[in-house]
Amino acid sequence: MFAYYLRLALASFRRNPGLTALMVFAIALGISVCMITLTTYRAAANNPAGERSGIVFAASIDNWDPEEPYEEYDKSLAPTMLTYRDARALHASNIPDRKVIMYRSGEIYTRADKGMDPQYFATRMTTSDFFPMFEVPFLYGGPWDAKADAGPEPVVVLSKEANQKAFGGINSVGKTLQWAKREFRVIGVLDEWEIMPKYFDVSNGAFQKMEGAYMPFSWGQILELGSHGNTNCWKTEVVDSFQAFLNSECIWTHAWFELRTAEKQRAFREFLDNYVLDQKKHGRFPRPLNNYLYDVDGWLKRNKVVGDDNKAMLVLAFAFLAVCLVNTVGLLLAKFLNAAPTSGVRRALGASRRDIFWQHLTESGVVALAGGLVGGLLGIAGTWALRAWYGRFVDEALRALPFDSTNFLIIIAIAVAAGVLAGLYPAWRIGRAAPASYLKVQ
Amino acid sequence: MGIRPIFSALLRNRAGAILVALQIAITLAIVVNAVYLTQQRVSKIGRPSGIDDQNIFAFWVNTYQKDYDFLGMVREDMAMLRQMPDIVDVSPMQQVPLSGSGSSSGFYSLPDKKGEESPANTYSVDDHGIKTLGVTLSAGGEFDASDVEYKKEDQKEPGYPPKAIISQAFAKALFKDEPALGRNFYDDQSRPIRIVGVISHMQGSWVGWDKVDRTMLYPQVGPYGSTQYVIRTRPGSIDRVMANVEVALRKRDPNRVIATPMTKMSDMKRRSYSSDSLMAVTLSTVTGLVLVFSSLGIFGLATFNVNSRTRQIGTRRAVGARKLDIVQYFLAENWIVTSAGVVVGCSLALAAGYWLSTQYQLPRLDLYYLVGGVLGLWVLGQVAAWQPALKAAKVSPAMATRNV
Repeated sequence: MFAYYLRLALASFRRNPGLTALMVFAIALGISVCMITLTTYRAAANNPAGERSGIVFAASIDNWDPEEPYEEYDKSLAPTMLTYRDARALHASNIPDRKVIMYRSGEIYTRADKGMDPQYFATRMTTSDFFPMFEVPFLYGGPWDAKADAGPEPVVVLSKEANQKAFGGINSVGKTLQWAKREFRVIGVLDEWEIMPKYFDVSNGAFQKMEGAYMPFSWGQILELGSHGNTNCWKTEVVDSFQAFLNSECIWTHAWFELRTAEKQRAFREFLDNYVLDQKKHGRFPRPLNNYLYDVDGWLKRNKVVGDDNKAMLVLAFAFLAVCLVNTVGLLLAKFLNAAPTSGVRRALGASRRDIFWQHLTESGVVALAGGLVGGLLGIAGTWALRAWYGRFVDEALRALPFDSTNFLIIIAIAVAAGVLAGLYPAWRIGRAAPASYLKVQ
Repeated sequence: MGIRPIFSALLRNRAGAILVALQIAITLAIVVNAVYLTQQRVSKIGRPSGIDDQNIFAFWVNTYQKDYDFLGMVREDMAMLRQMPDIVDVSPMQQVPLSGSGSSSGFYSLPDKKGEESPANTYSVDDHGIKTLGVTLSAGGEFDASDVEYKKEDQKEPGYPPKAIISQAFAKALFKDEPALGRNFYDDQSRPIRIVGVISHMQGSWVGWDKVDRTMLYPQVGPYGSTQYVIRTRPGSIDRVMANVEVALRKRDPNRVIATPMTKMSDMKRRSYSSDSLMAVTLSTVTGLVLVFSSLGIFGLATFNVNSRTRQIGTRRAVGARKLDIVQYFLAENWIVTSAGVVVGCSLALAAGYWLSTQYQLPRLDLYYLVGGVLGLWVLGQVAAWQPALKAAKVSPAMATRNV
């Protein structure tokens, strides 16, 4: 029976090719616009931590100006970065399973044997737990250990790209690089590694490129390496040396903690509050007690990684799809009603209401499927065009727009479901019509 | 002819009319808000920067050797670059306006954090900053060569030099409408800074910041061992100059890192506004498509109504209706459907506008846009129904006597 309905549908399309094309095109455009915005949205709304999202936490403690809120739009929020001394103090806690403090810096790297042109690599000053906590993949060698943190030992981990530039991509473990006027030994080389969004450092851009090199945190103090990222200060204080800067109330570092059990999470929250209360006794933290421990999901929301524009565009896209679908329902209805006398004849010849209903539903289903397929292809083309057109200027969110087969299937499913839904009323209406009324005038 | 027969005819095919009205309602909500948002983004993108941003490029110069004479390098590079053809002027700067990266500090009109307070985007320049950026001075002049502080790497003590050139908007924030030239303002340590020049308009680094036009130039080079060179070229020569500068700098002294590719300020600007332009393009595309589909929907319904009423039209013509009456009938019918959609659409549009204003902290949707949208949709509806109505008028009175 279904094959027969399909043949009927095709015959009907041939009768009104223009109208059919219009319906397919309406669904296709609505679908493609939705697909493009949904892809952009999902790229931004991705939670790259996966199942570890719930056990990895960022600390946000409210050490800010008593006069001014940190965020104008929500005065209850605390800063997203830490002072150097607070980062150090939190890192000293024994509660977490793993703990990382870090900031973004960078200098020119050279090779003593002049084997490379001097190069700037953005460099992440961090602690040894960084690599296991964020599941960093290694191509050669491995991370440094806690002993190297404390030393600190002159070791460096290179990204695959940086290793390519510095050593032509060979296994460079054990070789040395000169940096900030010192020698550093390569201890590990990373494999391809890109996290979108780069959740562990959204203050410097959620879609910023990964760093070229990683180095023990303590070198920052010894070599007087400031932040090559955001630094925010609120307090009036004399900062006349690097040590004074480290002791200042300026915020520029990040701290992450792995807390695998609920007890540890509770204990660590308590630790944060106690730490701040203790600091208040020393005249710091002038604002009321207001500390947060965000899991990855909460952190991405706190930092508004999914922009307002993304949300507005998604709503707009679905409103547009709604217009396209209403349009299609109207056209289908008009088309079916125009062909009602034929249905009247079929009914008079013995087709049941249900037969007529299913026949018409098949027709609208085929229109929807065609619209979905065309829309999906348009969507892929549109996403690609958007990236080609804007890739050079726009946020890296677009640069990395994934082609997502799940997206494609979701969209096709939405199209078919929407199309069938659009066909339901017209099909029902025709199926219900009394055959006699159409036969009379013939 | 009265409006009642039109209503009763409409009620016979309720579903079609309701669908078109619904479509018009959503269309109005989308179009009014999209046009409003687009207009805001377009005017934001079109704001003048006050800088000669089409003819400027910039790049980082990093040093890495022990005991390298950084300040000497800057002086010699500047001397060489200012001799090169097609270069209008050049200045070392730590940060570049419109780039999305910059520094800001809070300042006061009186010592001890008193008086008016305002933040400003601050930019270090040497004595060629004004000419390099191509900004216009409304009072005062460029820094003297003797004003520029050349700081070595061990001179990282904080504080700004005692002279500055500030933008009119920043001056206004500090001193209202009083003349600012020659006056002092103060940093948070109460150190005085004297205003030696006022720029009529200059944007800073963050185009999304509502105080982007509060800017300040201060005469300082160093102390960090790396800087950007900002170069202004004669119109039309920027690509050639970029290539020449790279070669010339590497040849003069290979022992530093010239960061390439160099970046044009026009590209920085486009990048800074990219999310705005993407939004504007998307919104206007969707607006256009929605309007096309709505007209097709109206056209479709009108055509269907005409087709299914051929006999009735013939009858009316036979009993004396003129062609004009038939056209008027269908246009009136369309107007009723459009109006119903528009009424629902107004509340939808206002609701969407309210939601957007909470999302973006924007002013509430301007009612002129709503009025414009309503008028526009009425016209659109009449235009879309025009052709079917004419077709209806062509129906021959003889139709009344035929079957079907």
